[in-house]
Order: sequence, then structure tokens, then C-alpha cells
Amino acid sequence: MSDRGFDIRRLPGAAPLAITCFVILYIPMAILVFNSFNAGKSIGDWEGLSLQWYAAALQNEAFLNAARTSLILATISALIATVIATLAALSTTRSKTFRGEASINMLLNQPLMVPEIVLAIALLIIVAQIKQATGYAGLGYLILAHSAFCIPFAYMPIRARLEGMDLTLETAAADLYASRFYTFRKVTLPLLAPAILAGFMLAFVISLDDVVISEFLKSPGQDTLPTYLLGELRRNLTSEIYAISSLLLLISVLIVAGSWLLTRRKT
Amino acid sequence: MLDLRNLTKRFGKGDSAFTALHEVSFSIKEGEFFTLLGPSGCGKTTLLRMIAGFEPPSGGALVLDGRDIAQMPPNRRPVNTVFQNYALFPHMTVAENVGFALSAMGRPKAEISETTVRMLDLVQLSHLAHRKSGELSGGQQQRVALARALAPKPRILLLDEPLSALDMKLRKEMQVELKRLQQETRLTFVFVTHDQEEALTMSDRIAVMNGGRIQQIATPRELYDQPANRFVAGFIGETNFLPAHCTKGLLTLPQAAASLPVSYADGPVTLMVRPEHILLGETQASALTLTARVERLVYFGTDTHVHLQAEGELTLIARVQNGMRSGAPYREGETVTISLPSEALRLLPQEVA
Repeated sequence: MSDRGFDIRRLPGAAPLAITCFVILYIPMAILVFNSFNAGKSIGDWEGLSLQWYAAALQNEAFLNAARTSLILATISALIATVIATLAALSTTRSKTFRGEASINMLLNQPLMVPEIVLAIALLIIVAQIKQATGYAGLGYLILAHSAFCIPFAYMPIRARLEGMDLTLETAAADLYASRFYTFRKVTLPLLAPAILAGFMLAFVISLDDVVISEFLKSPGQDTLPTYLLGELRRNLTSEIYAISSLLLLISVLIVAGSWLLTRRKT
Repeated sequence: MLDLRNLTKRFGKGDSAFTALHEVSFSIKEGEFFTLLGPSGCGKTTLLRMIAGFEPPSGGALVLDGRDIAQMPPNRRPVNTVFQNYALFPHMTVAENVGFALSAMGRPKAEISETTVRMLDLVQLSHLAHRKSGELSGGQQQRVALARALAPKPRILLLDEPLSALDMKLRKEMQVELKRLQQETRLTFVFVTHDQEEALTMSDRIAVMNGGRIQQIATPRELYDQPANRFVAGFIGETNFLPAHCTKGLLTLPQAAASLPVSYADGPVTLMVRPEHILLGETQASALTLTARVERLVYFGTDTHVHLQAEGELTLIARVQNGMRSGAPYREGETVTISLPSEALRLLPQEVA
């Protein structure tokens, strides 16, 4: 081509705009993390570096309970979502096209588009009735709800990987006397594993960070990490909250980074 | 050993239906290097995929050792494929790739490792047994693919344009290698290619295909010397086609004085003569003799192509072997006498080209 082409980076104002967005995104988070190391009690008075709020958080029974609930909830929900997402991805990419496949694909991804509050309210109506009828007030409701809305997040990387996979590999396995199950176990699954793990991690983070649905569906006395933070915020803004938020941020960043590393590496 | 009986393949339904294979019938013999040759879209790959079991036929039978395998799934057929892109399993080592079929069949470990060692030895890759297949060069991947397909001792080895991804030099080496492997293992090879030279150098017999139909099945020499029709003549090697006419056993060229007695039905015919069979500056008793002007000389190293304009608006290309003496034997613009010896002429029914 003779002309240099259209380069969005050369547009006037593009760079300042991009930088502004990054600043808005990351500076407050940096301030939050920074303040979690403040020896003082609130944001206004800086009294030197200290890990005391982290120590306090780790001795706070309510926080530890919420953290435990969150981790259990996220692990189980992500597991369920990943299994379902894997099966769904296999059936939409590997088996013969079936009636309504396109609609199923759309329905699978719908939770990404539906306003979360609407889903939460809808679920609340049903869950409240079941709670009343059965008297069960455990973690089951949250597990089911989280599993459901985490499916599309697990589904995306798995389906992308399946679509990108060379179909002749599975044909070759069949040619070399492998049954369908043997092919799945020895060829498809090992090649899909990084994407399944990435899907699991994404689902895990989404569940871990969820506020709206958890807040609506949790039973009295039950708290996940985000709902616990929300509750604490209503009372007062302490440096301990910064410490807890920083921990939550750290876990999310680590998992998202891990998932990115797994899908980036091509075999 | 493998009989194809009226094999037909149609894709699509109704108006958009497309017939990829029209009732193809032939037999492949035990231990033969059999090649399916044709331009892209001629149905050769479809036919190969059908033998492998990846494509169910729309009609006809596929009989291997007396048993119709047309409906048998690929993992039950004693037939293995070397794929065009090799399709090696990227997450496995070379040895695991080669042992895959035997593992899938549930053979004992000792047998698997013994066979793997033997196969890697056969393709001279023993030193790479523990590499991941993605770390190999194209030529090495090719050998692994061969070893993997040969390991379970198939009745027939199918090869789907396996050399097309290699560069020229490597391709020539692999042609020799493939022929050696086939002779050593005494296996039946069915080889698909669009490269006529590849087909001629390796095959025992070649089936030339076009438009989903078999055009001719013959040995390389027969195909070259006695092509059944204009397509085969034009596809294999280089050829001059001349419009001619037969009248009462006499072959004549339009607006040319020369004639030659032949035994062929009266009417218009296509006369075919290979460039290397045209004699320049010589006459022969039983030949069509013409005068022609040298239009252009194209030097090819071992030989020179002489583009000729003969009497009666005929254009021909003759091929002259370059001897040890330097310098061109002819000059452009020169007039020469050319002879088309009767034994080099082949008459084909005239077709609409």
C-alpha cells in the first residue's frame, strides 16, 4: 500500500484520552492499596507505614467467615459452571448441528447482557418462596445462582479454543483406531485443558467479585467477602476495609493473570 | 484386494446438489503403489477420504478383502492415512505419536514400545523419539506421520498430498524415501497428488481423474505414451495437439501438403505428438513432413524448446536435447524441415476443448 493507512494512535487527543482513562481506572485503586498500609485510622491522617490493618483483618472473625464462604462459593460454582460450559461448548462445536443450536448459543451468553439487578430480583422472588416453603437457608441458593451466571464466562474461552483446534487431529485419532471416547480423553481434552482451566479461573473471579446477586439472595447472617465489605462500608470507612479490599484485589489480579497466561500460550 | 464398485458421492440436496464422484469403479492390487492424479476439485481427495471412512459414500460398494467396508467407521478399518498437514498430536512426543494407534487398540506396553522403536528406525528418526512433535521440521514431521500410520500395519496406507508442503529439494528426497518404504514394507499405498511428475516417478499405476470421473488407469509409461483422451494427454507431460482429418485411411493436416496412411475412422481427429518426438532437419520414410519457421528458442539446460510455426498456421513446440557442443543448433527465423514420425503420432477423437 502506498499510503500510510489510518492509524488511530495518531488522532489528535487519542493519547491524552487513553491516559485519562487509565488514570481514572488505576489511580484510585493505587490510593486504596496505599492507604491499606496506613498506620492511621482513616484516609485523612497519614501516620506512617504499617501492616497492622492486615493483622487486624486476619483476626477479624466476621471477615474470615465471609472470606471462607466466598472461597467455597466461588470454587464450587466455578467447578459446576466449567463442567456445564465444557459440555455446552463440545455440543455446539463438535456434534452435528441441531435444531435451535443458534438460540442455545444465544441463551448461554445472555447473562452477559441481562442487567444483573433484574436477574437478582427475579431470583429473589423465587428463592424467597423456596426458603419459606422448605426452611433451608444454606449456601445452596448462592451456589446455584453463581453457577448459572458464571457459565458464559467459562464457556467463552473453551468454545474459542475448540473452534480454533485443528479438526484433522480428531480425524487422525479416529483413523488410528481410537474410539470416540479415547479420542476425547487422549486428544481433545489434553488440548482443551488450558482453556478449561482459564474458563474455571474466570468463573471463579466473577463469582468471587459478585455483589448484587449475593446481596439479594444471601440468608440472614450469611456474608460473602463483597457483601461483608458493603455492610462494613455502611458503618464506617476504616483502613481495615482498605486492607481487605486490597486482598480481594490481589486474589482477582493473580487469577486473571493466570488465566491470561494459560490462554495466551499456544501449543 | 480393494474393489471400488460404482462409488458415488453427492454433496448437498436438490438444486444445489453437487456430484463429486460419478460411479467410480476400479481395483487396487496387493502391494501396489497406486496414485490418484488430477487437478484440484477432481474428486481424488473425496475418494481417498471415502476409503479412509471419513466420508460416507452416497452409493456403491467398497470391498476390502471380500468385505464391504463402505459403512464401517474409520477406527474399525485396517486403513491408515498420512494427512496433508500431517496432523501430529502436538501435546505428545514423537514416540507417543507413533505408538498412538497401538495404544488405542489396547496392545501390551512391550509390543507398543518395540513397534515404536522399529518404526522410528525405519524412518530414521530414532534420535528424536522424545521430542515434542511441534519442535520438528516439516520433513521430520512428515516422517513421524508416516511412521505413525505404518505402526499398526494397515492393509492400505493412504497418503493425501503428503509432499505438497515441502520445498522442492526435500520433496524429491521424500519421493525416493516413500518408494523405498513402500518396497521395504511391501504395503499397498494409495497416493493422492496433483503433481504429474510425482505420480510418474513413484507409481506402479496411476488413475487420472477429472470432474469426478476416472479418465484412465494405467502404468506411468502407458499414460505418457498412450493417453486415452485429450485430458490425459494434456495433463501428463507436454504435448502438441494438431487438428487433423482422416479420409479413407489417409491422415491430412489442414492446408498442408503432407499426408500419411493410417487406420482410423474417417472424420476430424486430434493429432497428438510429444515435443521430444519431433525430428528437426531430418526426414523419415513413414512420417508427416512439414516445413516450419523457428519462432523462438527457449533454453532449459538439458534441452532447448523450439517454438515452430509450420505451414498451414500450425504452431508446435519441439524439444531438442542439448549436446556437449556449445551453441544453439538453430537460429530464430530460420526455416527447417520437421518430421512427425508415424510411431510417435497418436490420434484422439476430437473433443470440444
